[in-house]
This record gives sequence, C-alpha cells and structure tokens, in this order.
Amino acid sequence: MITEALYQEYLTLLLEGNRRECARIVQQLLDRDIEIKTLYADLFQKSLYEVGRLWEFNRISVAKEHLVTAITEGLLNLVYPRLFDRAVSDSGNDRKVVISCAANEFHQVGGKMVADIFELNGWDSQFLGANTPVDQMLAHIHDEKPDLVGLSVSVYFNMPALKAGLAAIRGNFLHLDIFVGGQAFNWGGTEITRQYSGTAYVPSLDRLTSLIAA
Amino acid sequence: MMWETREQAAYGYVTRQSQDLFFVLSGDGRILEANESARTLTRCRENDTVFSDLVVDFAGTFNLTNLVQARGGPQLLNIKTAAGLPQSYDFYFAQVQNLILAFGRLDAREMVHMQKQLLSLNQELNNLTRRLHKQNSELARLNREKNQFLGMAAHDLRKPIGLILTYCEFLQDEAARDLGTEHQAFLSTIHNRSLFMKHLVDDFLDVSAIEARRFDLDMQPADMPTVLSRSLEINRLQAQKKGVMLQVDIDPCPGPAIIDAEKIEQAVTNLVSNAIDYSREGDTVRIRLCCRQDHLVFSVEDKGPGMSRQEMEKLFTPFGRTRTKKTAGEKSTGLGLLITHKIITAHNGTLHVDSEPDRGTFITVKLPVIKQI
Repeated sequence: MITEALYQEYLTLLLEGNRRECARIVQQLLDRDIEIKTLYADLFQKSLYEVGRLWEFNRISVAKEHLVTAITEGLLNLVYPRLFDRAVSDSGNDRKVVISCAANEFHQVGGKMVADIFELNGWDSQFLGANTPVDQMLAHIHDEKPDLVGLSVSVYFNMPALKAGLAAIRGNFLHLDIFVGGQAFNWGGTEITRQYSGTAYVPSLDRLTSLIAA
Repeated sequence: MMWETREQAAYGYVTRQSQDLFFVLSGDGRILEANESARTLTRCRENDTVFSDLVVDFAGTFNLTNLVQARGGPQLLNIKTAAGLPQSYDFYFAQVQNLILAFGRLDAREMVHMQKQLLSLNQELNNLTRRLHKQNSELARLNREKNQFLGMAAHDLRKPIGLILTYCEFLQDEAARDLGTEHQAFLSTIHNRSLFMKHLVDDFLDVSAIEARRFDLDMQPADMPTVLSRSLEINRLQAQKKGVMLQVDIDPCPGPAIIDAEKIEQAVTNLVSNAIDYSREGDTVRIRLCCRQDHLVFSVEDKGPGMSRQEMEKLFTPFGRTRTKKTAGEKSTGLGLLITHKIITAHNGTLHVDSEPDRGTFITVKLPVIKQI
C-alpha cells in the first residue's frame, strides 16, 4: 500500500533528481512485498503521468522530464529479479505478446511496464523499445508470431506515427489482435481504435490486468 | 522591471538573467565583473580570479591576447565548473578601450544531440538489463529442474548399485574358491567400479541437496578426536595400498563440540583422501588437530605437485578439477571438495588452501566450537 504521504515524498525526490533516495523508497516497498502492479500503477505510473502533465503545462523542462524518466526506468531494474522469478514460476500459458513504442516515440517506460504486467500473468512478453521503426516491428512480428501486439504512445504529437504503425500491422497481419495505450490518449485519440479492426484501447494497468485475466 | 534605457535593459538581462557567461576582464585577464550565471557556474570571485584559471588548458597554449585579436568565428573553450565537470562554451571576445568583454554561449544543437544519444543509450542499457534478468530467471528455473532430475536419478540409482555391491561381495566371500584368477579379477573390477558409482551417486545427492539449499545438519555433541580417528580408518587403508605414510597428531580436546559428526567425517575423509591421491609412494601426509578455547583447527599437508593460484580458484566449483594429475591416476567425481567446502561453511567454519606448484598443498580447516549448554 502506497500512502499519499509516501507518494508525495517520492515525487518530490524524483523531481529533485535524487536517484538514491527514490531507490531506497522502492526497495523498502519491495522488501515489504508490495504487489508489483500496485508499485507500477500507484508509484511509477502515477508519478510519471504527473511529471508528464507538468511538462505539458511548461512547469518543468524537457531535461528534467527526461531525467525523471531515466531514474524511473533504472528503478524498474530493482523490480526485475522478483518480477521474473515470479513470472517464470507462474509461467505456462505459452502466449506471446510483442510490445513496441510508436516510431519517434522516445518514452518507453509505459510500454515496458505493460510488458512486465504480461510477464507477471504468465505471458512471454517481448519489448522492442523506444522509437522502433515500423519495418523492424513488422519483421519481429513476422518472426515471433505473437498472439497479441501492444503499441504505446506517450506524447500526443506522435499519434500519426501510431496510426502508421497500426495501418502497417493491420495491412500485414489481418487477424492479429492489437491494443494501444499511453499518456498521449489523455488528450484524445481513442477513436483511433474504430479505424482498425481488432484494435482495443487499454486506459490503465488495472484495465490491462483484468483484460489479461479475462 | 523598468529600465531607463534599452542599453540598461539589455545589460541587466545579460548580467542577471542570461544563462550565457559574461565576463568583464582587465587587460591582464583578471575578472573584474562576472554575470550571475558565470559566478554560479564557476564560483569565480570578482577582482580576484584570473580568467585563465577557469579554462581547462591541457596543452598550455591559452593566450588571452591572441583570442581577443583573433578574427572569425567563436573560440571553443572548456570551462571548469563548480560541479566538477568541465563544460564547453563558444566564446566571443571584444576589446573595449582597456577592458576585455568575454561572452560564452552553449551550443544548443550539440546539447540536444548529446541528450538524445544519452537517452537512447540509457534506454538500450535498461532494455538489455531487462532481457538479462529475464534470461537469468529462465536459467535459474532450468538449473532447479536439472537439480531435481539429478536428485531423482541419483536416488533411483542408489538402490540397484547397492544391490550389485552386496551380491558382488557375496560372490567374493562365498564363491571365490570356485572361480579362476581371471574371473576373480572380473569380480574385483565389478566391485571397484560399483563402489566408485556409489560414491558418485552419493556426491550427486549431496550436490543436489546443496544446490536446492536443503543441506541440513544434524548437530549433536561429539568428541572431535574420536570423529577424526574414525574418519582416518578409511584413509589408512588407501594410504597403505599406495605406500603413503600418515603422520597423525591429535591434541586432546577439553570437551565435546556440537557438530554433525557424519558430515565432518565425510569432509575429513575427502581432504585426507585427496592428499593421499596427490602424494607419491614413500611420501608422508601430515594430519593435525588442535583444540583451542573457542575453535578447532584441523590441517592436512601433502608434498604432492601442488597448484597454481588460478587452479586454486576453481577448486571448490563443481567438477573444478585442476590440471594436476593424481599420482596413480585415481578417479574422482570432481565434487568432493565442493561438498567438503559446503560442510565446513555450513558449520560456520573456514577452509583455507595454501599451495604452490611443486611445493605441495596445506589445507587448514577452522571450526568454531559450539559447546553444550
């Protein structure tokens, strides 16, 4: 359980760029055996969305936003030993998902957290990373033959790149299920799913968890 | 903010708000005035610091006069910052009467490019770390499965090997008279090979338990000299066959220690057996037990071929056999020292190896004494 006071302390340290103290808080939560999804949704995602909002309203600089993102991404590494140990011991559904960021999208933490939630639910998740060129993504999908593809977009002006990615996947893999998500959708764009069959918008990690479980 | 003139407004911006560096220097390069940004970044002191002291000048070629007189574009200078990391600035110099004005500007395009590259590198590194963790977990799972299989296989093999040994011993005891020399030799070979297989299976079971972290000790009060003497019974036969002398020196101990006697016997037998294996006929293996107030020291010394430092490093790894050959080509599972080390550390003891090529090996085991309450 992450209290509001702890969240505010973490957010302040994060905005100060205090990597060590942020790591201390995350490690303490892990030592208390916090549920990984709670850690992701209530600490990492919540703080990153707030930092993204501060940037969008010109309250913090691009450099600070990048620093915060880099710190958060480093903190994910603290979670991985536990996450993958659990994922391996719970594995068995043999389902595969490929998660990618839209071309030109340099924010990858959200997509990576989504990939991790799939791992926790027994999926083999393959994360392609930030700014993945469309042809590389298509080649990977062709080689790996996943059951599902997820595309993440964090910055609204990258929506055209997301659309191009969706069109390319649908054009090459007619029956492959796709889902999209990311902070960019806070500014709109959810209607995009109606333009491409078999495409769903997933607004949160909680919704993602219920969809995986369904 | 209100200013009297445009010049004052511009000068106010440069001295207080601008992120560029601005210095007013005397003709000999002393800083007479620095804007807010320059003072914060470099911690320079007006009327005290010399401009050249702020410049990183590996080649020793910095010359202010030349820079002021130079025509053309900006001069790239590396400025020492209070944060400890030098920062590159494009500098413009202007001579105004007997003063020198210095303007330093960051190259924004270069900064953006560097920021993007650093971000990408950091992301790639983090993605690789994620893949590494995922693969590590998969390897750990495969290792657990391997240990389970090893344990099961070893456990299932133990019984038939025990039967072969028993029936072989029956035949040797009861039917040897009816067999020719050649057939007796066959039986002897079957017996020796089965015994080796039994040791191998026992070692596999121990390693399987160690790797699965199920290496439990049965700690009971025991008299260490008695435990040592019992262990050496097996080694005496081995030494006798090979013509190696055992010199045993045992201090009496004041009272029993709390140990797992069976496992300590196994460790002692392993260490002495190794020393015999690496000794030549006629050599002496020295075994000593000293009982101290709070610990026991057990040592084994041989005059065998010894080991290099690199060989010693892999001594306690599974199948970490050294290149050094046993003197009579004796076979071993390659697991004995790993198990011995585990037994000693499970007793909170230490095992120290001192060896040099051609100088023999000296192994010291130190066990803390837990006395009976």
